[in-house]
Amino acid sequence: MKLARFLTLRFVGMIAVLLVVSFATFVVFYILPADPARMECGHLCTAGQLRQVRAFMGLDKSVWRQYLDFIVGIFDGRTFGSGKGAVVCAAPCLGYSFQQSRSVTTLIAQTFPVTLSIAVGAAILWLISGVVAGMVSALKRGRPIDRALMTTSIVGISAPSYLVGLLGILVFGFKLKLLPTGEYVPLLQSPLQWAYHLILPWCTLAFISAAIYARLTRSQMLEALGEDYIRSARARGLRERRVIGRHALHNVMIPVITVFGLDVGTLLGGAVITEKVFSMYGLGALLINAVQTTDLSVISGVTLIAAIFVVLANFVVDLTYRLLDPRV
Amino acid sequence: MQRSFRLSGHRRRASAGALSASAIVALALGLSACGSSTSQSASGAGSSSQKGGTLTIYDSDSTFAADPAKSWSLAITSMGLLDRRLTTWKVSSNGVTKVVPDLATTTGTPSDDGQVWTYHLKSGIYFSNGKPITSQDVKYGIERTYAPALSGGLNYQKGLIAGTNGYNGPFNGKQLSSIQTPDAKTIVFHLTKPYGDWPWVVSTTSMAPVPDGDAPAATFGNHPVTSGPYAVQSYTTGRSLVLVRNKYWRQSSDPNRSAGPSRIDFVLNEDPTVEAQTLIADGTAASDAFGADFVPPAQLAQIENNPSVKARLVTSSASPLEYLAVNLRSTKLHSSKLRDALEYAINRKSVVVASGGTIAATPATTLITPGIAGRVDYNLYPASNTGNLTKAKQLLDQAGIHNLTLTLATENDPVSLAISEAVQQSYKAVGINVVLKPLSTDAWTSLVTGNSASGYDLALTSWQPDFPSAMDNIEPLFDSSMIGNGNFNVSRLDDPAVDKLISKAQGTINPTAANALWAQADRAIVATGAVVPLVYNRNSFLRGSNVQNFYIGEFPAYPVYTAVSLAQ
Repeated sequence: MKLARFLTLRFVGMIAVLLVVSFATFVVFYILPADPARMECGHLCTAGQLRQVRAFMGLDKSVWRQYLDFIVGIFDGRTFGSGKGAVVCAAPCLGYSFQQSRSVTTLIAQTFPVTLSIAVGAAILWLISGVVAGMVSALKRGRPIDRALMTTSIVGISAPSYLVGLLGILVFGFKLKLLPTGEYVPLLQSPLQWAYHLILPWCTLAFISAAIYARLTRSQMLEALGEDYIRSARARGLRERRVIGRHALHNVMIPVITVFGLDVGTLLGGAVITEKVFSMYGLGALLINAVQTTDLSVISGVTLIAAIFVVLANFVVDLTYRLLDPRV
Repeated sequence: MQRSFRLSGHRRRASAGALSASAIVALALGLSACGSSTSQSASGAGSSSQKGGTLTIYDSDSTFAADPAKSWSLAITSMGLLDRRLTTWKVSSNGVTKVVPDLATTTGTPSDDGQVWTYHLKSGIYFSNGKPITSQDVKYGIERTYAPALSGGLNYQKGLIAGTNGYNGPFNGKQLSSIQTPDAKTIVFHLTKPYGDWPWVVSTTSMAPVPDGDAPAATFGNHPVTSGPYAVQSYTTGRSLVLVRNKYWRQSSDPNRSAGPSRIDFVLNEDPTVEAQTLIADGTAASDAFGADFVPPAQLAQIENNPSVKARLVTSSASPLEYLAVNLRSTKLHSSKLRDALEYAINRKSVVVASGGTIAATPATTLITPGIAGRVDYNLYPASNTGNLTKAKQLLDQAGIHNLTLTLATENDPVSLAISEAVQQSYKAVGINVVLKPLSTDAWTSLVTGNSASGYDLALTSWQPDFPSAMDNIEPLFDSSMIGNGNFNVSRLDDPAVDKLISKAQGTINPTAANALWAQADRAIVATGAVVPLVYNRNSFLRGSNVQNFYIGEFPAYPVYTAVSLAQ
């Protein structure tokens, strides 16, 4: 019962957040100096042509009406113009990119598998390597291995992903010729090639993100090891492996999972730099290109999707919390 | 792209592949100071064209506009591979670029007053679906550009074809009576005014034929029926575009395209740095490839020290004009002596350095781009490349101007900022304080092309014509009808004498006579002090070792895709 109430409240909250985000994005982009109709009208556009284009794109209506059309389009689709000159954006229509002649939903559907492939692999890699490194560091506190791991983690935290990615390409791609320098191969086309092409992006992201997890795990673990319940567990004669693995790690994982959930949520909204460096056209590359060409409908659509991931990730984190820590 | 490319007029992107050529002022991503050695501008040219092989083109663009109505591609780059128009460009590795017949038998026969142009189609011309190309297909292709869904391309024809007010394309069954097709091989255009550059207008990519009545606005671009030597086999946004031979295309009807490679793979969404490194490494795949993007500064420096790679680098001689627009509506700039002082005081040497050195830019004192017929080189304000400070100070004294502060509106990318700082320093030397106003591209465009003339005294901008006619260097930037409303008369020059010259030149059908008038207009505009020409930018591209006939003519500053072949 308590859980049902929790879920209902959270669900309503999520919808409210998404509505606010979508409206804010919509308004912000439409009050910018860029005029989508002017951009779509091409070079040497006359006032009459501009009027036609504006009406065709539905931009001659009020902002409220445009927002309503956008929301209705998500459930019912949209049609611009009529006959053979019409442009149809099927439901769920998150907007239509006149620049790319594609619905935003289609563009997101095409690019999301790329981002998902990068995010899942990288996340697994960084979570495992980060937590393991953090635990080793904590248990070997002050020893050379602790220092080596923590120094490496500082490099990971400070290095920009663009630099790490390019160095990876330079060393493993061009010098050693061990790995491809980029390009995405769909999973269904060839699972082996898919993984082979993703090794560098995974490692790049993992190297950067694992560092934070290593440091977080280390400090949490050190704190936990000093707690009374650990001393009691040891005093009761429990084996060290059980003390660490069951009692200490359990508490360490709570903050780690929180950060992890949010990181994955954000990453699913697009690994902007990594995608660009490795020539992989995911949500991040889609977004960055849209920003560069001021493709407002794509920016609004991708922002909404990214917000959905963050909100969902928050939700999953909260649920996991309840499982890990019954007091919540 | 994207890239810290810089654009001008029509605000589009910078690789030559799928994009806009227009006014892109593709500044070579802030080419670093790479020393003074120059590369040849016709590397790999001259070999006879060999047939076969798969050519790869690396491109940082992630999308490709394959519907000609929406394309901003140059006549001789990507869309030149797919489509033909009534006319096209003959780009040689030296000498001016010429307009030549493509689908038509001539570059056009004008009526005596230059307002009606007639074309006859060649025989043996086919679409990639096997159907013969008729004059009705050409007409339909042009009519499509008036549909609101397809209006995003180059629109030179739109205001010129008569009776198009309120016309919104052929999809509701309406046709333009000003384009007549008396038979399947003849097409006649009725224009709103005499227009000597019409043969250039029909060479732009949006004038390609499209199968009559069979090209829905929303979907044709996904599966285009083409008229050039290649057809689209597959296209995945952000990944690849694969072109294969159009088996119905005949070399006998098309002497302008060599159609060397059997297949062309565009690899999209490439990072320009990785692209350049791949081409420098010249591995198995890259040896049959070239890059559509400018070589970034760091790699350019790397290439400078490596003769074997440098032999594969192609650098344009000079093209997009970088200039300082002087806002004539600003009360601060009403003194002609002050404007003359701005001309004399500019230090072009430091602008060249800020642009990335001599491999990236060369000083400019005129408006018409080198490589365009009719260009006359002159310098109305004689000074060395570092300026004539004595003369400038003298003029300021005569005008009684002291403690002047001017606002310079600039885009906020690194190269624009570096050039703006060079301009700032130039004017500081004569006691003029320049305050920089760095803006995002959108905000900058909105400021300098908007209807209000306030907010800036000077603006840094650049321009590359869409086709090699002097008209396109002058009219869009300095005709009084191009002030505000999103147009690019950033200087807000409203000079009846200049307007009259422009109108006269446009209506002059004889190219030699028209060119003389354009040269006269060029000089007359610079004489008003409305513009300080700074530099002509230079673009560098890299090819793999197996790529032949990879060259850049005098115009445009991009490789001629339609000539490239692979050694077999």
